[in-house]
Amino acid sequence: MVGLVDCDNFFCSCERVFRPDLARVPLVVLSNNDGCVVARSAEAKKMGVREGLPYYQLLEQFPDGKIVAFSSNYTLYGDLSARIMQILRDEAPDVIQYSIDEAFLVLDGVGEDGLKQWGERLCAKVLRYTGMPVSLGIAPSKTLAKVASRYAKKYPGYRKCCLMANETQRRKALESFPVEDVWGIGRRISASLQMQGVTTALQFASLPKDMVRKRYHVTGEQTWRELNGEDVIRLECMSDTKKKTIMTSRSFPGMLTEMADLGTHVANYAARCAVKLRRQQSVCEMVTVFIQSNHFREDLLQYDASASHTFATATATTGELVNASLRLLEKIYRQGIYYKRAGVMVSGVGSALALQPDLFEFNPAERAKQMNVCAALDSINGRMGADTVVLGAQQYRQKSADGKSVKFVNAIRRALKSPDYTTVLGSFEVC
Amino acid sequence: MRVKQMRTLILYKSHVSVRLALPYADGGVQAGFPSPAQDYLSETIDLNHELIEHPSATFYARVVGDSMIEEGIAEGDLLVVDRALEPEHGDLAVCCLNGEFTLKRLRLLDGNRVMLMPSNRRYRPIEICEGDDFRVWGVVAYTIKSNRRRRTRLW
Repeated sequence: MVGLVDCDNFFCSCERVFRPDLARVPLVVLSNNDGCVVARSAEAKKMGVREGLPYYQLLEQFPDGKIVAFSSNYTLYGDLSARIMQILRDEAPDVIQYSIDEAFLVLDGVGEDGLKQWGERLCAKVLRYTGMPVSLGIAPSKTLAKVASRYAKKYPGYRKCCLMANETQRRKALESFPVEDVWGIGRRISASLQMQGVTTALQFASLPKDMVRKRYHVTGEQTWRELNGEDVIRLECMSDTKKKTIMTSRSFPGMLTEMADLGTHVANYAARCAVKLRRQQSVCEMVTVFIQSNHFREDLLQYDASASHTFATATATTGELVNASLRLLEKIYRQGIYYKRAGVMVSGVGSALALQPDLFEFNPAERAKQMNVCAALDSINGRMGADTVVLGAQQYRQKSADGKSVKFVNAIRRALKSPDYTTVLGSFEVC
Repeated sequence: MRVKQMRTLILYKSHVSVRLALPYADGGVQAGFPSPAQDYLSETIDLNHELIEHPSATFYARVVGDSMIEEGIAEGDLLVVDRALEPEHGDLAVCCLNGEFTLKRLRLLDGNRVMLMPSNRRYRPIEICEGDDFRVWGVVAYTIKSNRRRRTRLW
């Protein structure tokens, strides 16, 4: 059997652990730069707040301030996630973490007797240890476990754990499960199925196998087999793969026209890419910078551009990536454009251990120095919170009122962030 | 000045799961006689290990206010809160009462009655009534205080 543990409204629940006053208050968590809603509590969903709603529209639609908004606090979410995963590892024979708030439990060899009680106790333990509500679905395959977890979340009668052990339970669960909500059924397949009158997961699972394979290829067939109780999706291959390209790109809260402002953002995206590369012990051969005007504003001059730079020796240092990115930006920047989006992408990603240095331009001593600086940077930012120490290029310069001194301000906006309760001593206060 | 700031930075980290033991060279190939002390090297004291029984359930909180001052718990003290511990009569606990955190001793009485006991004559005990939204957030396993920072003038 396979279990799927899924945290209920993960980001919102994290915020509530340290804010009991918000237990029943509708709340949302915003994306980077406080752009739009990425997570909603059950109360906020009920009020009709949709995912992806821009923050300024949220303020317009609900001006009475009844909805509490938080900037995303990934330090807090990451810490609570790690605690939950540790508890799962303590209890289950094998755990495969699938995302920040989901994990599959491999329950091979665990008898079905008492599995339901075991699952209920597991969810209760996570809640007691961390304050985080989680739901668990147990079924013969991963896709069915996902279905079961939805039922566990939706109906309190399951006491957070839904076990789908026999054929009757499977048919009953799939009968009332919309096919578009099945894990692995994308929008295209779902649309095509709807056209044929296939609306429930059970109808899909009852289609002839050959037909499914012909129309929806290997992945469709995989989902079909999973819904029929065969555990065929292999996660081990998915979880540990290193990314071959890494991209960091964002829309700006407003529109930008100045080279200096764009540069601050581009520097931040490049630094982010560098951190991601180092986290997976990789280096990249090429960096690409792109900038875009606001495509929704047809009244304004439109301009998209991108440029790439190839490194003589593959790198992952913040300094080199930021420098190269800023030089690329200078190349493609045009005045008089209202820019809405920019991004940095690194490619040619390979292992840092298999580095092939350029014969003429590579200076090992300089690279070692740069890597030391980066290691120190990662260590401080890991302990103290992301963006505690950044390059000057990553910050806005703000002149003081008298114009004499200059203040540096971090570019990523997190005006509504909660304290790092679990990782910074003293931020969790008790009277 | 700079050194002091650095120390504050380091002190502020709070890795719950990391073991902080004194490192020692263990093995590798060594020439000459083995050190006679080698047999005793495993004996290090690791406060993370001693004070934290359940790492995934342990959180640190800072005391604000003086409601527990008469048992020596003062503003600024650090609480090691272990949510895995079953609350018992007499435990010091971080409680949630009607949406607010409060640090009190638990008095568990017959008939599931609960009283929250302060350690300060200026505060009254609180009896939990029906209709109150109450739960124990976590039991305080240890209180950590600095003895070099004198809060009250004793002589």
